[in-house]
Amino acid sequence: MAIKIKALNKSYDNSKVLENLNLEIKEGEIFGLLGPNGAGKTTLISILNYLEKKDSGQIKIFGKTYEKNKNYIQSISSYVPQSYAFYPDLTAYENLEFFAALYKIKSSSMKDAINSSIEMTALEKYRNKQAKTFSGGLKRRLNIAIGLLNNPKILYLDEPTVGIDPQSRKYILDIIKNINKDKKTTIIYTSHYMDEIEYLCDEIAILDKAYIIKKDSKENLINENALVTIYCENEEIKINTQNGYEELLNTFEKIKQENKKIKKINYGNKSLEEMFLKITKQDLRD
Amino acid sequence: MFKYILKKEFLLIFRNLHALLVLFVMPSVFIIIMSLALKNTYSNSIDVKFEVLLTSENKSKDIEDLLKKLQNNNFFNISYSQKSSDDKTILYSKNYDFLIKIPASYLKDIQNNKDINVDVFSTADMSIQNINLLKSQISSNISKQLIKNLLIQLDVNTQETKDFNKSIKHHYVSKENSFNITSVQQSVPAWLIFSMFFILIPISNTFINEKNFGTLNRIKSINVSMLPILFGKIVPYYVINLFQVLFMILIGIYLMPILGADSLQIKGNIFLIFLLSSLVSLSAISFALVIANIANKSEDATTIGGISNIILAALGGIMVPKFIMPQSMQELSELSPMSWALDSFLEVFVKGGTFVDIKEYILKLTLFAIICFIISYILLIKKGSK
Repeated sequence: MAIKIKALNKSYDNSKVLENLNLEIKEGEIFGLLGPNGAGKTTLISILNYLEKKDSGQIKIFGKTYEKNKNYIQSISSYVPQSYAFYPDLTAYENLEFFAALYKIKSSSMKDAINSSIEMTALEKYRNKQAKTFSGGLKRRLNIAIGLLNNPKILYLDEPTVGIDPQSRKYILDIIKNINKDKKTTIIYTSHYMDEIEYLCDEIAILDKAYIIKKDSKENLINENALVTIYCENEEIKINTQNGYEELLNTFEKIKQENKKIKKINYGNKSLEEMFLKITKQDLRD
Repeated sequence: MFKYILKKEFLLIFRNLHALLVLFVMPSVFIIIMSLALKNTYSNSIDVKFEVLLTSENKSKDIEDLLKKLQNNNFFNISYSQKSSDDKTILYSKNYDFLIKIPASYLKDIQNNKDINVDVFSTADMSIQNINLLKSQISSNISKQLIKNLLIQLDVNTQETKDFNKSIKHHYVSKENSFNITSVQQSVPAWLIFSMFFILIPISNTFINEKNFGTLNRIKSINVSMLPILFGKIVPYYVINLFQVLFMILIGIYLMPILGADSLQIKGNIFLIFLLSSLVSLSAISFALVIANIANKSEDATTIGGISNIILAALGGIMVPKFIMPQSMQELSELSPMSWALDSFLEVFVKGGTFVDIKEYILKLTLFAIICFIISYILLIKKGSK
């Protein structure tokens, strides 16, 4: 198990941000952390990266206790924040060189580590250009490249595709898939874009109002409501099959009798987004 | 690792040429303006004399004598008019600085024990020092005339009553070598200190950008101590501060004489100047780190930092020399690190002081730098670890 969290609590000024949170993340998987604004996603990632203190609860990372193994855990983890956390006035290479030094990568292997990060994020053409001249997509790639320098076993990606065009997004998602595939890196991925989570993640947890309200595999989450939608001519019939298939069979019978033509049948939620909105009740968050 | 931290800081500084330029141009301009503006304050004469109009109902021999004597000074240009003795607006319409109204028979009246009234009018912006200077010129010259007349009556050969004022010469005394205090000698250290503390603006800007871009959080998530990160910020700005010192001294020595001011004379020990510059720099940088840690936005840092620097400068005698402050303000100024810096610089630059003379200031500046550094370190560690 890469991460094991038991009864984690965190509050700010008497307001609970995480309450009795239990979570297990398997080694080598891409884990999606979904949730509306203020759900506690960034707080959870901040605690896991020692940027904030937990109030109570137990955390184990690769079997090591969180409190006693800070140095080890930090050395195998990497945190890619939502913002462009680098120096715009430095070139891509200078940024990578600075962070490589902070990761205490020896001078002899520094070049290799930097080149590997540059290669994985396809920044070769831009290595000697100042980051402030980069497009949004290139900045996101540099942000990720810095996170790859220490060859982490766990990579935390906090909304890494915010504010970029669809082409760049697709490119970055493929980069993340490749990192997971090639290096077997456990990736914890937060995003507001459901299609990204759907595309990338094996397991998904939905956080809302300090609780994990759902955690399952992507397939199970999408299909769990067992909703069958039948699209006939000018008609859309929805049947919940959770309590049996009798209603569904009756509906088919009726369609046959009326001699209607079935155009399409969908099973489960249409998408992760539909499921997400359903279980987080769709109300607007601050 | 520290090598790369330094490399990053130096690159960021040298790629922000505007901020760098301000650190050198701003104090240079201040030094030039203030040295030239205060030149007369420290001089025995002035370039542009005050225009004085002396009026009386007629031009008696005594008035002629007084006029002749008053002309003989370095500060006033005296002219005479029989008219307009009641018209004070002449001060503005004819651009006079002073108007003196004196009875033509003033000497005889004094000798006959009659009361006389000499009225001196000036423009509204005239300083009390200049008014007193003119009054003392008038009274001393009248006294001389009286003494001369008395001696003539006693049939004593007077030739010319001696002007003792000319016999009294003032000399500034330094501790090691004799040299004159000048406005340059005063302005270079003062504005140099001010500019060294202004390093707060670029330091806090880069620091706040690191906080706001999430770079600092990213660094904290890496297993790295915050101490080298803070030291990495101190070293490049310390180097810049030392270059500021060198640059301002060179301006004082070589540029100011070309512009018509006196040349900066350094009679104090070079090692002491280096030591003081280092301590002032470390104090300024540590103070900047505290402000940078407190502020959340660049605007906050510029406002808090700018205002606190100006207050410290005003209190510390940078903007207004301490010797013209009332006692209570002089005591208050002792709270400003800029005051400790200025006093110690003046001790070395102007008085040629030794280590013993400035040891108290050295101790204060060292403590200030250490305390500010510790506060900034604690704030850096605490912030974010809620």
